[in-house]
Amino acid sequence: MRKSITLYGLTFSLPMFVWQAAFFLAPLLFLIALSFWSVRNFRMEPDFNLENWIRMLGRAVFWQTYLRTLLLSASAAVITSALAFPCAYGIAFKLSDTARRWAIFLMVIPFFTSYLVRIYSWQIFLSDNGIINALLAKVGLGPFAMLNSVFGMMIGYLTLSFPLVVLLQLFSLVFVDKTLIEAAHNLRCGRLRTVFEVVVPASKVGLVIAALFCFILTFGDFVSPLYLGGGDPPTLSILITDTTKSGQQWPRAAVIALTMIATLLAIAFAAVSFAYRERGR
Amino acid sequence: MTDQPLVVFDGVVKRFGGFVAVDKLDLDIRKGEFLAIMGSSGCGKTTTLRMLAGLEAPTEGEIRLGGKRINDLPTWRRDTPMVWQSLALFPFLTVRENVEFSLRMRGVERTERRKRVDTWLERMQIAEFADRNVAHLSGGQRQRVALARSLVTEPEILLLDEPLSALDAHLKVRMQTVLSNLQRELGITFVYVTHSQSEAFSMADRVVIMSRGRVEQIGNAQEIYRTPRTRFVAEFLGSSNIFAGNVSNVSSHAVTISTPAGEFEVAPNAARPLAKGDKATFVVSDDRMHLSNSPPVNGLNRLETSVVGEEFVGATAIIHLEGAERIEIKAQKSHDELGELDLEPGTKVWVSWSPEATHILPRE
Amino acid sequence: MNDFNRNRLVDWALKLYVALSFGFIFAPIAASFVFSFNADRFPSLPLGGFSTVWYEAVWNDPLVWEGLRNTLIVGIVVSVLATVIGFGAAYTDFRYRFFGKTVYVALALLPPTIPVVILGLAMLAFLSSTHLSGAIYSVMIAHVVMCAPFAMAICRLRLSQMDPSLEAAAWNLGATEWMAMRHVIIPFCKPAIFSALFITMAVSFDEFAVAWFVSGLNETLPVKVLGFLQGQVSPRINVIGTFVFIASMTLVILAQILLMKRSAAPAGGAKETGAVTP
Repeated sequence: MRKSITLYGLTFSLPMFVWQAAFFLAPLLFLIALSFWSVRNFRMEPDFNLENWIRMLGRAVFWQTYLRTLLLSASAAVITSALAFPCAYGIAFKLSDTARRWAIFLMVIPFFTSYLVRIYSWQIFLSDNGIINALLAKVGLGPFAMLNSVFGMMIGYLTLSFPLVVLLQLFSLVFVDKTLIEAAHNLRCGRLRTVFEVVVPASKVGLVIAALFCFILTFGDFVSPLYLGGGDPPTLSILITDTTKSGQQWPRAAVIALTMIATLLAIAFAAVSFAYRERGR
Repeated sequence: MTDQPLVVFDGVVKRFGGFVAVDKLDLDIRKGEFLAIMGSSGCGKTTTLRMLAGLEAPTEGEIRLGGKRINDLPTWRRDTPMVWQSLALFPFLTVRENVEFSLRMRGVERTERRKRVDTWLERMQIAEFADRNVAHLSGGQRQRVALARSLVTEPEILLLDEPLSALDAHLKVRMQTVLSNLQRELGITFVYVTHSQSEAFSMADRVVIMSRGRVEQIGNAQEIYRTPRTRFVAEFLGSSNIFAGNVSNVSSHAVTISTPAGEFEVAPNAARPLAKGDKATFVVSDDRMHLSNSPPVNGLNRLETSVVGEEFVGATAIIHLEGAERIEIKAQKSHDELGELDLEPGTKVWVSWSPEATHILPRE
Repeated sequence: MNDFNRNRLVDWALKLYVALSFGFIFAPIAASFVFSFNADRFPSLPLGGFSTVWYEAVWNDPLVWEGLRNTLIVGIVVSVLATVIGFGAAYTDFRYRFFGKTVYVALALLPPTIPVVILGLAMLAFLSSTHLSGAIYSVMIAHVVMCAPFAMAICRLRLSQMDPSLEAAAWNLGATEWMAMRHVIIPFCKPAIFSALFITMAVSFDEFAVAWFVSGLNETLPVKVLGFLQGQVSPRINVIGTFVFIASMTLVILAQILLMKRSAAPAGGAKETGAVTP
């Protein structure tokens, strides 16, 4: 490894650094500055005042929205993890090698389909005279109002994060030392109990990371709450899009965004600490 | 040791697809004995152990534990704790939690559990690490945890799958002593799988040598060493000189066998009656070979060889020699015995042995 | 595995669950495809007749063509830029050790972990203040930020399959650093480079959120779809969705084939660990 800086080295290393510093880091830092700007006569002016922060954080509505979004994302993380686990477990332990590779390939496909189009499809499925209600009508049930509800929103969240959570859990489960499972059986631990006593603790890191990613994705998503959840009451992400597009209240939107970032950092830190914490001294 | 064997393998066959890992195994394991199953990789020894533990199911045949058939019993209903090569300690649990695991599975309640675990931690001298995470222990300490974890339920039998192979030499020897003493104190049956001769011979009461899914020989160290049953065993031990040829004469007290290297007088083997013209193989242990620079006295078999090299093995040395028809001879002698001999490579040396030191293989 | 350690019923139940999960994932995609050919405007059961009327509607819609044009231009430029930048960063991580390397790698890989809403807002504000917003290159700038990490990851993975002494061997035989790069490293990384080109294009293709913030009037196709979504029931979405799906899948499959064919190392996928040899 060469220690001195060479033109050769810089040619390859600089572009990424410059680009991300200029167009990723700078905008985020700018966001912080923006939150202190003032808005007068519908125009933004560079300033340093705490008005936006006080206004926003002083409103009960903001905190209600904050807690609601937090709760919804936390629920999504738990529900998605629970629903994904049997799927990931099945793929990791019950499929042949070839079948597993196909399953992984199929699981990657959704990342390259349009999330918007899938949400639109769910609108079709879940609407009052949509596909599911039509099927239920045939057996004399319903119609159920599934759109514009938390249920609809959760379906949307699942659509967004289920494949990722399954893949992350899967990669963790696949690397569980099989002899630990055999040892548990050998020590009188039955099948189901072994899953909870051995498999889950041994894959803890992957499971926590999967849940964390689900939380991050759903925390910032505005499409599901808006188009499947009805948008009212709103989530933080909807607040940002509303605030941005209607009028020049970008500083206020910045406050919301920064609050979200701070929350995400805290939760990510807590989650990773928990994931890597060891038992015993 | 009582009459009825603890474990019986009755005609057990194990196939993985087209590959036969274990081929018609008939084996009795006695109560309270230390049995070693030895062989090179792929010989079926680990598969045999795993079938006993219930981690593999026999394709044919029956396995009986305490007289009862256990083929259909899942692993967690058998009482056959095992120590893995990798030890398979739970990295997300402390030492204490690892050791108490099987007691917890059986529903033993907390105070009783704690008592039994503490007893075993004391016994294996790891009590001070009780609340440590197993990842922070040394190799030897982890071994003791693995043993405590398996023995805490006081089973009748303990299975061990090459547990010492990852340890360095001096720790290995120390753990061998620990295991031998443990087995003797507890009086339970140990079934120990290994590829190492020194481990098997130093710890076990009986040794089973396996090759290609079949048992080549069962016996104690002396028997196997002095009277190997097949050519495979002789070669596997590595300490025998093997001569193969045809019988040229049979008398009441000796058999003369004609080999490419020469004609030799060999002690007859009651297990293998021979007639003139039969093919026969005999072995001579390397420590039964005499070396001399001048031709040996009459009555001994002799062979003129030249020295190829010398190999130091602690207090002894193995001299490698080459005789007529490129036959390879090994002689293992203490340094004192070697004394004044001229052993420069290329030197002509007479190798001799008495007919009593030979053993005709009962099977070709 | 001992047969009595497994429970047939449980095994089948889990496999069924996996199948149902895939059903859930692909149902909306399949529905979109099916209903794009549905004659009825309001998609429901029973199906209306087979019809390509919506395909015609999209074909004749200038807005869609405009969006597609923007998406393609952005996609191509972004994929090239992101791959170049990503490759450079991957090589840097592969070869060099320096003070602050962790920060460098973190900066390079962080963008996908920031929620797109926040990223979009930040980009909009920043680009506006530097008068770089609302143009087609605004979307390009933002997408390179988001796609370069993927390119870096793909190239880095490929580099880790290379024997690290190959480069030194080339130097030892008289090649300069540039020559070694040209004749050893890049040829080895070709499948990864092409793969990165395709995948970054696919990612840019589907990205709607940040594009919505910064594109202004130069909307890309996904942003138009977002607009359609806000309107009435619009079967055009199904048509566009089907088209985008086929395009993205083609890109991804090409990328996969490239990676698997040229790669000397075993293909990815799960490998069992800790097995005791029989």
